[in-house]
Amino acid sequence: MTSPTRIAFDTLSRGDVLPPVDLTISADDVRAYLDATGEPADRWGEHVPPVMMSALMLATLLSQIEIPKGVMHTGQEHESMRPVRIGEPLTVTVLVASHAVRRGALMASFDAEARAGDEVVAVSRASVLVPPPDDAASTDPSSAGSAE
Amino acid sequence: MTAVTPPSAVEPVTRLIDQPRVDKYAVAARDPNPIHRETPEAYAGPFGRPVAHGMLVLALVSEAMTNAFGEAWERGGSLKVRWRQPALVPIEVTARAVLKSEHDGVATYDVSCEDASGEALLTGTASVHLA
Repeated sequence: MTSPTRIAFDTLSRGDVLPPVDLTISADDVRAYLDATGEPADRWGEHVPPVMMSALMLATLLSQIEIPKGVMHTGQEHESMRPVRIGEPLTVTVLVASHAVRRGALMASFDAEARAGDEVVAVSRASVLVPPPDDAASTDPSSAGSAE
Repeated sequence: MTAVTPPSAVEPVTRLIDQPRVDKYAVAARDPNPIHRETPEAYAGPFGRPVAHGMLVLALVSEAMTNAFGEAWERGGSLKVRWRQPALVPIEVTARAVLKSEHDGVATYDVSCEDASGEALLTGTASVHLA
């Protein structure tokens, strides 16, 4: 999933579509994820946990752009259209849904869509905030959410 | 198990999120951000120590919804959340979901994750189509 050249975060614009990324989630991937989250693995022998899908859709974004220092993941949306099978070949496309500076802070949201062929199987939106450089060390976490 | 009549609240999920868990999650979720690990960047950052991935905290909500709704959660389940505070590692997190509404076969829950003192780390909603 790693892209050879990462896109600078501040060069993105609303409406930009990042290159599609192939994603196939293996049984080992799911086991490692469940080992990390602590969720019992016995029910996930065939399908990918929905929030794992969301996390790996976010990872496709992380693999394609330069992550600015101090970036905070402030919100997340996710919808599963149907269960995603382990080993099912998917393609993830990320759209820059918003990208604007407000009071020095850069606020952006990214819509990701996972498809199996022509079928959309999951969609997600990640919202992030990049504090102004001078404020990066003094951001109030209670107003901005947890850093990702 | 698929619940046709939605419960007024789903069984909470509580878990310790410690540094080894965060380190494993960073690899599994392919998120190499150093602020989540024992790195100089984490200790020099705004929180002064490593912070758990927000998506790791959110995973507990999905686990609670899976426990309650099984495959119905995988088929048409949706989440919309905002993080309210950083989850500073180590931390015990409890995910909760309380029924907010039920319309046209869709149950919507107010969801949250709290630390051991009851402070909200994450709030939002989760919806599931009832079979």
